[in-house]
Amino acid sequence: MSDPQPLRGRLAIAAGLFGLLLAACDPEPPRPELHYTLSADSKQLLADYPAAQDQLLGTLGMLFGSPSNPRYAVPEEWIDDERNPNDAWAELSEARQAELVAANKKAFATPLAALERGEFAAVEPAREALDLQAAWGEIRAGYDEIAAAMEAGTKSRTDLDKYVAENKADAIALFTDWYPSLRESAEMYRTQCLHCHGINGDGKGSTAEFLNPTPRDYQRGAFKWTALNEKARPRRADLYGVLENGVNGTAMLSFKRFSATQLEGLVDYVRLLSIRGETERNLAREDAEEGFKIEAVQEAYLDVWSKWDKSAEFVIAYDGEIPEATPEVIEHGRVLYNDATGANCVSCHGVGGLGDGPSAKEPDPNGGPVPISKKDDWGNPLGPRDLTQGIYRGGDRPIDLYRRLYAGINGTYMPAHSTIKDPQGNRKVTDEDLWAIVHYVRSLSKGKRL
Amino acid sequence: MSFLNPSNGAWSILALLVALLLVLVTFVKFTRLWTVILIALLPILGVWTFVKAPEWGLWFPKDVSTHGAGMDSLFNLILWMVAITFVLTEVGLVWCVFRYHDKVPGKSLFTHGSHKLEMIWTAIPAVALLVIAFAQIGTFKQIKFEDHWPTGGPYSKDKPIAHVIAYQFAWLMRYPDANGSFDSVDVIESPFDFVVPVDTDIMFQLKSRDVLHSFFLPNLRLKQDAVPGMTIPMWFQATEVGEYDLICAELCGWGHYKMAGRLIVKSKPDYEKWLADKRAALKSNGTADLEAAE
Repeated sequence: MSDPQPLRGRLAIAAGLFGLLLAACDPEPPRPELHYTLSADSKQLLADYPAAQDQLLGTLGMLFGSPSNPRYAVPEEWIDDERNPNDAWAELSEARQAELVAANKKAFATPLAALERGEFAAVEPAREALDLQAAWGEIRAGYDEIAAAMEAGTKSRTDLDKYVAENKADAIALFTDWYPSLRESAEMYRTQCLHCHGINGDGKGSTAEFLNPTPRDYQRGAFKWTALNEKARPRRADLYGVLENGVNGTAMLSFKRFSATQLEGLVDYVRLLSIRGETERNLAREDAEEGFKIEAVQEAYLDVWSKWDKSAEFVIAYDGEIPEATPEVIEHGRVLYNDATGANCVSCHGVGGLGDGPSAKEPDPNGGPVPISKKDDWGNPLGPRDLTQGIYRGGDRPIDLYRRLYAGINGTYMPAHSTIKDPQGNRKVTDEDLWAIVHYVRSLSKGKRL
Repeated sequence: MSFLNPSNGAWSILALLVALLLVLVTFVKFTRLWTVILIALLPILGVWTFVKAPEWGLWFPKDVSTHGAGMDSLFNLILWMVAITFVLTEVGLVWCVFRYHDKVPGKSLFTHGSHKLEMIWTAIPAVALLVIAFAQIGTFKQIKFEDHWPTGGPYSKDKPIAHVIAYQFAWLMRYPDANGSFDSVDVIESPFDFVVPVDTDIMFQLKSRDVLHSFFLPNLRLKQDAVPGMTIPMWFQATEVGEYDLICAELCGWGHYKMAGRLIVKSKPDYEKWLADKRAALKSNGTADLEAAE
């Protein structure tokens, strides 16, 4: 082979290739330092006060930390009550805690089996579990130290066995009792949720623009698929349900491939993003001129928290057995559905439930001849659901549909039918009527589901 | 511990070896010996990775189906055919490199093809393809042909256990109502989890809502494209209780990598209980949520 390449050139090529290879094999790429930003709304509100923008961001940083290290500020009165929102484990019921321990045992079956056998060298925690990795790393470091000394001949096998015996119980507890810190959940969020929901939870991630419907913006604290009345903030169970089952008919998929513990951790982090977003909105609206005084900030923060604390009071349940879906009930539901003085579903959802009722769209404000879609609270075009498809985003059980009818859908034109009253103040649509409508609506999709 | 885990030190060793090779290639004058060694390394490393693959966790996942044995023996048959061909051609290549390296044996010989050679290299692949074609008939028939579909058992083409619906980017299983009807408001939806009883012939219908997807159960050696507009019957029998991956094996859009599900094989009583619980959930009046709040 005749190669006229001078030696220096060949050296450069070899060095370059070598460097590339080493770079490609770097086992732990550095984690990017992440930062929250202000929402477009806040920026617009504070357009006249550029200094206030930085001030607000700094204030929020003190209250919620950064995406790399999210942390709630704990007000003084909570310290007295021994309340710490950073420790979400304490919020869970004992039964739930036991379920999570069982979930951990399943998710960490491989490392736990290795620990049981005393094979510390074979144990690897999940990559997202940063704090678990660190805690395990400490136990592991001691083990590795003795193992190295054993190689060198200064320590014996019995020393290693003794170390394993001493630390085995702690190590096993580390895995079985693991509950993700907010930092670990933020890491999960970064890998699984961020590309749609965005780093601030504003639904503006990089893949969001491909999606219809658009991903939920948590920053208003408004969530659609809850079991609650009066647009209350969601319970943990509501958020968990969406993570577990996904939202049928949208790009929100089921995240059951992660353990229950990981999903509970994601619930914590979504709540943090939502509380942060709402606090930001309220502060930007009300306190910009006063310059975010500490009292005002604390009040806004506690105000948002108080809404979340109350959510369990708003659960909608029906006291009694659900009426059977007999043909008479369905027929009754059909009449109610079409009753323009009562439930009046027909005005938006149309006679056949196709979502083509006369009120489904509104006239073009620019005077165009074609009516345009209405917009929801987030500013996205929104049409009434086509009820013949049998795709129910908030869950397909009758009780889920009942709740949608009872309380309406947060952020949309779907009204709360429990609040429609006649002049005497009596409910126009009773609970029994709601069930009849539920059964009629369900019957619309019969045999047409895909 | 998978070999491919980047935190495994084996990666670094492999990287160093390849880097060493590159340095050699850059600096060493290509004598006949070096060339032959380098060319011969390719088949040797290739065969070595196959021999070591099961040890590194890169081989097939555990087979838990009645289809699996046939599929695996077909795979092994083809693997052996390919391996023998590969080794023979590589030996030929190395021989040519050894024999004709650096040598200019005089004027090149021009030929206008060889009828005999062409016959041989047409006949050998033809025979190989025929062998594969005949060898796979039995297995293919068992998995895909209608007259091998389960009948008589609890699940058949007209009475599938579930409709499996693929959409961007998730799996949704729909089980029939208590009367076995899918044209019912009381069908049961199970996102992500495809739950089936063990040791039973399972027949299900595969559908797609939007684009092409592919239903793939690696542990059951079962794969089938889901085509929008088509309802495709499929069957399998799982032989071991457990949880297995269900993945999409057809690039279906930006979220393809996320399109996972889970096959949960339960004992028959557990399966019946799961189904009953799901049916009971449809009757929920929401009071359980009140109790949970207290």
